[in-house]
Amino acid sequence: MRRTSIVVADAGPIFRAGARHLLGRESDFEVFEATTLPQLSQTLEERAPDIALVDLDLPPQGGVAAVAGLAPLHETRMIVWGFDATPDAVLAAVTAGAKGFLPKEISPAGLIRSLRGVVRGEAPLSRSLATLMVDAVQGLEERDRARERAVTLSTREREVLALVARGARNREIAQALSISEFTVKRHMQNILHKLDLPSRRAAGLFYRSAFESSGVFEMERTA
Amino acid sequence: MAAEPAFPLVAVVSSYPLLAEAVEGALEGIAEVRAFPAGQGDTADFLRLLQPAAVVVDSAEEAEAAAEFAREARATLVHVSLREDRLRLLHAGRWQNLSDGSASPERIRSAVAAGIYLRGVRT
Repeated sequence: MRRTSIVVADAGPIFRAGARHLLGRESDFEVFEATTLPQLSQTLEERAPDIALVDLDLPPQGGVAAVAGLAPLHETRMIVWGFDATPDAVLAAVTAGAKGFLPKEISPAGLIRSLRGVVRGEAPLSRSLATLMVDAVQGLEERDRARERAVTLSTREREVLALVARGARNREIAQALSISEFTVKRHMQNILHKLDLPSRRAAGLFYRSAFESSGVFEMERTA
Repeated sequence: MAAEPAFPLVAVVSSYPLLAEAVEGALEGIAEVRAFPAGQGDTADFLRLLQPAAVVVDSAEEAEAAAEFAREARATLVHVSLREDRLRLLHAGRWQNLSDGSASPERIRSAVAAGIYLRGVRT
């Protein structure tokens, strides 16, 4: 029987040892360990394992950056695991090339089942994480729609809107942009009209939903 | 009558089952390790019933609850902070930070094994 080879890439010795002890009892797994990105990279080069279980906080730059750098170069299926399964973390991991995301609270049986599933081509993602991921994707879609609407604004109107979103009053906006308060009011009227928004407060919320984004959005923008 | 375990019993009360796996691997041939989920709200009473020789926990709340039992029973208590990668040990009724190095299974083994040995000497 061909064994499934797994590299557990985690700076925490407890999780490496726990996974090694658990998977070592199963005859169908072979386990390697790495504590940093360079070690993981070396293991992928030398061993070409079937699966890499990569810690979200893997030194030096985190598991998402590690997966983004390594996934395009290797056939190893990368699974990220971590303490903080936020929607952004899950989505960032998957966007970077991970085939799934597992919480570190996972049960021994759950980890074994998930890893065997990966071998069969399944994407391990718990129900709660799947919900988080759907929320995150929907958040991105809402953001995209808001950004499409914002295209109608002029550069100056966007500058005004950015200051409104930060709670600035008309006088402060006028000072910041070296324009009159009257001009600020006119820009504000145009903004509300173009975006079909009822109030200044709604305009501020709109700006935040469109432009003040998560790490995922920042990653997409800089990619 | 229930049979006495061949080895001293170590209870791991944790939200992270892989901690118990790591401890079990580290204490192989030294202690019998049993895992219990954290956050049940009855840790001290539960430990009084179980009477382990040592306890390993992974949260400050469980450490506080387990400390009640450990002081009464003179049992070893190790608190592993998985996020901070740190260990502390309840020794002679007082917490002692084990600050050199990270929270490795080997360091947990040393702390637990020493505690079990000293407990045996005292009793």
